[in-house]
Amino acid sequence: MLEWILFAVCALLLFAAMVSFTGAVIGAIRFGFVMNSMHAAGIGDTFGILCLVLCLILSIGPGLNMMKLLVILVFLWFNSPVSTHFLIQVEYFTNKELYRFSDRIAGSKTNETASGEEK
Amino acid sequence: MSVSQAYHILFTAGLVWFAILIAVMLIKAIIGPGVTDRILAINMIGTMVICCILILSVLLDENYLTDVALIYAMISYIAVLILATVYIPANPKRKRFGEDVKREVEEGRRYVKEQRAEIRRKMEEEGFKGSTPIDMDGKEL
Repeated sequence: MLEWILFAVCALLLFAAMVSFTGAVIGAIRFGFVMNSMHAAGIGDTFGILCLVLCLILSIGPGLNMMKLLVILVFLWFNSPVSTHFLIQVEYFTNKELYRFSDRIAGSKTNETASGEEK
Repeated sequence: MSVSQAYHILFTAGLVWFAILIAVMLIKAIIGPGVTDRILAINMIGTMVICCILILSVLLDENYLTDVALIYAMISYIAVLILATVYIPANPKRKRFGEDVKREVEEGRRYVKEQRAEIRRKMEEEGFKGSTPIDMDGKEL
């Protein structure tokens, strides 16, 4: 009986992981702006991975493999924000429209705008 | 039905769903208008492949696949960072769009023309020495 309860909890956690990864993929596709897609992709990188690793830990049981799974989880949790930060920098330096948009809204600190005209 | 069979069906269903999501992200990587969309899609594909490897390690009862998943996580992380550094300039405060780039290119071309004209002038003044090798500054090697 206890095994079936454990199986039910594993199934629930795996379902939650699938839902979060599906949401991340749909968000990455549907948003037209890349910055919003990155925000959606973070769902899978955090909650999805957590649910999946917890499901696998419950099915494996304690031991060395459980520690390895936890190491992978912590490693991915550290990586995701750093990768997102670098991707945002790529978007900032490759998207010309974004540069002009941010200058118009926030006001650039230099005397010249992106097109070389003086303010 | 035994518990092990139920786990087998559960993890197989999870793998199939992950495969569908990876295929969808691959389409996004091909279509995605822009560099950032593609790198983001590759990052997400890497994360989902890691999840597939972890599920497989439990399904097939092979413990070494967790080590494979850890190494793959490190490699995909470094790949995304290196792909990003290709597009991030070394001096971020320098403006790099439109007329600024054109201005810099024209200045560079003018500088090279002036240097070459100066070298030609010096050679004509001193007389052409034939096969004497000189560098860009006009000095003899």
